Amino acid sequence: MTIPADMKFLIVDDFSTMRRIVRGLLKEIGYTNAEEAEDGAVALNMLKNGRYDFVVSDINMPNMNGFELLKAIKADDALKHLPVLMVTAEAKKEDIVLAAQSGAAGYIVKPFTKATLEEKVQKIMQKLTATA
Amino acid sequence: MSPDQLPPMTMPAASPEIFQQLGTLTRQLHDTLNMLGVLPHLQSSVDNLPDARSRLTYIASKTEQAAERVLNLVDDAKADQSHIADETRKLAALIVADPVKAVASGAVMNFVQDVETTTQRVDQHLTDIMMAQDFHDLTGQVVAKVVKLANDLEGQLVKLLVQAAPPEQAQRVEAALTAALPASTGQPTLEGPVVDADGRTDVVSNQSEVDDLLASLGF
Repeated sequence: MTIPADMKFLIVDDFSTMRRIVRGLLKEIGYTNAEEAEDGAVALNMLKNGRYDFVVSDINMPNMNGFELLKAIKADDALKHLPVLMVTAEAKKEDIVLAAQSGAAGYIVKPFTKATLEEKVQKIMQKLTATA
Repeated sequence: MSPDQLPPMTMPAASPEIFQQLGTLTRQLHDTLNMLGVLPHLQSSVDNLPDARSRLTYIASKTEQAAERVLNLVDDAKADQSHIADETRKLAALIVADPVKAVASGAVMNFVQDVETTTQRVDQHLTDIMMAQDFHDLTGQVVAKVVKLANDLEGQLVKLLVQAAPPEQAQRVEAALTAALPASTGQPTLEGPVVDADGRTDVVSNQSEVDDLLASLGF
């Protein structure tokens, strides 16, 4: 499928190393436009004050965790259309189910591979294109 | 008189009154600590120590794996780089000797294809080295859990110390130690990386289990 060149990602993780890894992988996949936030609160502020197309978020973060961010995005009429892909070390089944029920577009457990990230992002993009 | 000829040493037997008093004091101390909530918390912190041990083992294992992986990938990348350098020198010699023959024999085109294949491989090594750094996130979360446990344990021991201090010193000790203790971070009860998934049915152990779970729920 064709990748929209100006597609803008927001990568949310409290570990700068992981933000750089996700950013690097997205670049390799073909998405070069990405910004970073260190927790949910910072991310929500950025989302409300900028234009983004895709959110990749960790769950376990200080200030505002990924679940709270996901719920805030889905409760905001201006943001609820945004796909949110959870990339997290949380492997409890109840967390995975809660994320899906809260509106997450996908769920990746760490450690993950480039192929997994690429597959999930492409799948979400295909769904978006189909429903657009 | 040799040592084995000495009469055996005996402790004076405690009188029944002293024994009774010691028992009462011990019971009072136990009840007081329980009432103050020190013992249950202390017990809970101590119960978490085996978990802290398995978390530290997880950190040691993750960091070792990451270091090994990176060193192996660097070895591979250096071998590829060395191969390109060798081939470049050989081609340069061929071109200097006979430029027309170097092209006509296919040596130049072979070199170009070789460089393309090798650089793709080096690029993959670099991606893998980048991915290996995920140990920082995974172990960092586990370190935070162990630090929290150490803080909890310290807090409970401080309470115990304050209770045991003479009344005139207790307030000063409490004020000094409370100031020194870090404030609670109010972290949510998220579990972080699973350090030991054996025998657990409430967690997934890989991405395909996540996908299966979500698919079973219609997501």
